[in-house]
Amino acid sequence: MSADDKKSPIRLTRFDGLFRDRQRTMLGLLIGFFVFLFIFPLFASGFWLNTLTLLLLLAAMAQGWNYIGGYTGYAAFGNVAFFGIGAYGTALSMTKLHWPFFPSMLVGVLAAIVFAVGFGLPLLRLKGHYFAIATVALATAVGEVADSWTNFTGGSAGVTLPFFHPIQLSGQYFYYLSLLLVIGGILLTWYLMKRKLGYSWVAVREDEDAANMMGINTTWSKVIAFALSAVLAAFAGGIYAYWKTFVLAEEVFKIDYTLQMILATVLGGPGTVIGPFLGAFIYYILITLLVFFLPIGQLHATILGVIIILVMIFTPKGIMDFLSGKKKLTWHALLENVRTYRV
Amino acid sequence: MSSLELTQGVVNALLLSGTLALVAIGFSIVWGILNIINLAHGAFVMLGAYTTYWLFTLYGVDPFLSIPISMIILFIVGYLVQRYLINFAIRAPLLVTFLLTFALEIIIMNLAVVFWKGDLRSVTPSYSGAGFTLGQVQVPYVRLAAFILSLILTGLLHVFMTYTKMGNAIRATGMDIDAAKLQGVKIGHTYAITFALGTALAAAAGSLISISFPIDPTMGGAYTLRAFVICVLGGLGSIPGVMMGALLYAFIEVFSGIWAPSLKDAIALFVLVLVLIVRPTGIAGKAFYH
Repeated sequence: MSADDKKSPIRLTRFDGLFRDRQRTMLGLLIGFFVFLFIFPLFASGFWLNTLTLLLLLAAMAQGWNYIGGYTGYAAFGNVAFFGIGAYGTALSMTKLHWPFFPSMLVGVLAAIVFAVGFGLPLLRLKGHYFAIATVALATAVGEVADSWTNFTGGSAGVTLPFFHPIQLSGQYFYYLSLLLVIGGILLTWYLMKRKLGYSWVAVREDEDAANMMGINTTWSKVIAFALSAVLAAFAGGIYAYWKTFVLAEEVFKIDYTLQMILATVLGGPGTVIGPFLGAFIYYILITLLVFFLPIGQLHATILGVIIILVMIFTPKGIMDFLSGKKKLTWHALLENVRTYRV
Repeated sequence: MSSLELTQGVVNALLLSGTLALVAIGFSIVWGILNIINLAHGAFVMLGAYTTYWLFTLYGVDPFLSIPISMIILFIVGYLVQRYLINFAIRAPLLVTFLLTFALEIIIMNLAVVFWKGDLRSVTPSYSGAGFTLGQVQVPYVRLAAFILSLILTGLLHVFMTYTKMGNAIRATGMDIDAAKLQGVKIGHTYAITFALGTALAAAAGSLISISFPIDPTMGGAYTLRAFVICVLGGLGSIPGVMMGALLYAFIEVFSGIWAPSLKDAIALFVLVLVLIVRPTGIAGKAFYH
């Protein structure tokens, strides 16, 4: 890292100085954690392997959402559409065209990119609430079309995919695939945030008009952020489809997924490289343990809601705010957030 | 489509527009004054519907008489929610309030499913099937009454906002919060009253809906989206605008329901996306760019 980066007028990420002391410690911890994740399937299987695979898929989607919602600052509320399109693209290519898994997944990803660019160009002109609801509406409408277009998507009967062979290894296979996707996502984010593209996203978030005046093509900057968020979600959708060997519109277009990826990002720290990954971990482990150890049964959704409310009120900037050394994690700091935003 | 089907569709759309306008107006004042998209709005509609249902089923209270009761209960709930929850994060970025109200919706819906089960229920007073026919077009009494009551409540809201001190304080807060403070308006209290008005109107709409349609705990989400579409169609911040939006939306919904029943919501949502794409300034002309 050169000295120039430190002088840059825009604070790029809270994790930009990878080679300063505190960050070096954190990087060490992070690598240690990934080593742990790599050897995890050696001593775990069944329930915990499933949970972690789902968690990693969620983390990948959250990283995708981070591009448009965290760095670019557009409250996209329909990213589950990309997950669903990825899942359906993969499933339909495998069953109708009898293509192998990886090319099929690319079909799903390409479909998601086309969709993101096609709708992103007009929708990203909207701001604030209008953009948010337009994306909710779009995702809901796409889900409904997938549910009722019986000839093409199988409608409410769903699509059944072939099994992965050998079937005993399928748990590990999809776990490692998801892990690779997450690592790819982290490296991609880290790389992009050193490039002009990353700077342009932050510029759009901070002041879009000023960014325009500086000669940034804000339209394409936003559309690329949207499309990249689609890529990660669609890969996750493809892996999910082949892993579960069954795709149903009700399941893969569930708005809960959108909520979870946003929650993971906001909890970890929007606009940071590893925030979404950490947020996904904290959120998912927390909720799994709560469901596992408490007799809450159907109250699963209520707990999700309560966690969202607590996070929104006390740490709207995520835990990376504390981990990066900007603030100390104290009651005072938490209450400070409340004081800033109340009337 | 025969002409009978067409006329019946027109009448149904007209009757539906009243209730939808009532749902959307509560949503619209909260959005316009507080700058919050209240995603829990539909959940409050659902609570209003269930208040009427339980009062009718357990105590035999006539559904129309239960409307003021459900409005008062939900007014109090709305006041407390705004005063002791949303007010703490109201100046945070858009995403925060958006997620906060979404979380509220999830919690309310989930608790309703757990305690009241997910079954479809309906309020069936003795007059529920009665109606009259105009030519061959059927007009059920309850829907006509719901339509008229919606218009009355909308008129009352207009009177409240224009002629009372509190109403003026609410509008002043919406126009310029600092100037309102200088005039001695208590912002926290005013915000809470505004939100409570929104939930009370949602409750009234819910009570009226429960008389004409079957209800279940997940009915709310669809109403929140409808309220949003109507506000976009009609423009934000004017009561007549919302009513025009509701009328337009009711026609889209009723006729897409006749032609393509399984794609009913998808068509309405694509219309929303199209309107936003083609005319980002809205049909009523209010700028969407802040």
